[in-house]
Amino acid sequence: MKIFSYLGSMVINRLRDIYAVWKIIAFSLYSVIFRFHVGRKATWSVILKQIYFAGFEAVPIISWISLALGLIIVTQSLSILPKVGGGGLVGDILVWVVVREVGPIFSAIIVIARSGTAIASELGSMKISREITSLEVSGIDPMHYLIMPRVIGAAISVFVLTFYFEIISIFGGYLLAGFEKSMTFSVYIASVLAALGFREIIASVLKSALFGLLIGAICAGRGLKVQKSITEIPQQTTKAVIGSFKAVFFIDAVVTFIFFMI
Amino acid sequence: MPCLIEFNGVTSRSDNGGIVFENAGLMLSSGEKVLISAQSGSGKGEFLKLVAGLIKPDKGEVLLFGEDTAVLSPERLNHLRKKIGFVFQDAVLISNLKVIENVALPLLYHTDLPREDCMKRALEHLDMAGYKGGAWALPGPLPLYAKKEVAIAKALAMEPEIVICENLSAGLNVDELKHLAALLMNYKSKKPESLLIMTAITEADAAFLSPERVLKIENYRFA
Repeated sequence: MKIFSYLGSMVINRLRDIYAVWKIIAFSLYSVIFRFHVGRKATWSVILKQIYFAGFEAVPIISWISLALGLIIVTQSLSILPKVGGGGLVGDILVWVVVREVGPIFSAIIVIARSGTAIASELGSMKISREITSLEVSGIDPMHYLIMPRVIGAAISVFVLTFYFEIISIFGGYLLAGFEKSMTFSVYIASVLAALGFREIIASVLKSALFGLLIGAICAGRGLKVQKSITEIPQQTTKAVIGSFKAVFFIDAVVTFIFFMI
Repeated sequence: MPCLIEFNGVTSRSDNGGIVFENAGLMLSSGEKVLISAQSGSGKGEFLKLVAGLIKPDKGEVLLFGEDTAVLSPERLNHLRKKIGFVFQDAVLISNLKVIENVALPLLYHTDLPREDCMKRALEHLDMAGYKGGAWALPGPLPLYAKKEVAIAKALAMEPEIVICENLSAGLNVDELKHLAALLMNYKSKKPESLLIMTAITEADAAFLSPERVLKIENYRFA
């Protein structure tokens, strides 16, 4: 019986966590759409800082990874496809790999590693040092001033970084792999554009937006779970990273299945 | 003088379940200068949380500006909190904001003033508080005294009707305490209708603030 009780409480706790994350996302969307006028000057500056940190400052690392990945995919395609008579599939392979999967996933991973950890640990530290209480007693809603900007900032960052990743990966891969030797740039781009359908773009947009919202909400929620001890900060930060990874890969599987299997 | 804070038969428990207040009553009016003196862990922190509506009493009611904090909407509660200036024992400045941004934050969030005006007013409040450090420095490395100067500038930025100081003397020497007390007295003389509440462990800790009324927390009630 103990095992059932254990499993039951585990399921309930998991459902509670999921509910808490969606509540933060729903609140953030409501807040940014209907309550943006509240404390606009202050919250806008937090959103911009979040985008700067999570998005702009991630550009160098995203550039390196996307270039390297573009190089790998183009080189592998170039070395294998012509041998099996599939030279014309290079564009399709790039779109399938980069736009459908790798772009959103890698951008999300970079944002989790750089900003998700920062969000969780910063909020945890603010909770311990009573900074969140200090905001509350000043009549400043921490959910509106601290959480919403982080969730929205993370979503915008993942969204923009995903497209940046995809563009750099496709163009950079071509240039770095010396692709021009076997295919002209115009033929290459035409091949990519032919493979790039409306469905791929929508899937990429949906994935990146959902990933960003989930990362922001999970990491902010974990940060707020810190109660009294400073040792809780690394614990909750680790849980934020693991939770974000799980959510990102789960949602990726669901969206991929809906878009490309049904 | 209108009553700004009222406790009616308040019973409240701490996080660990122990009773902090039991059927406690209190009336604090506009224009008063009140000291709440009690040993650590005897309910000063809970009193502040109840006043700010951060916790709800288990029984009874806490009226802030005549409104029951337990039934107010979050928006209404935040509207009332705008009229309170808090100075925490350890200053509690927002660590990722610069000193001037800390002071300007309530103005930026609650008022329609342009950003430049908010920053200008924040700088004026810092000058008034006697803050000598860099306005664009992060508050983390500042000494506690300087942090408390900034915290007072921030608390007074919105010209609150209630000013609450939590253990102001903690961590300060006599000269520093005198200076900070003078800042609060100066505000009180400029705005005599404001209510000044100080919490301290002993009456001696608040000597420079010359309270007109001293309350103790004894047997879970105000005495």
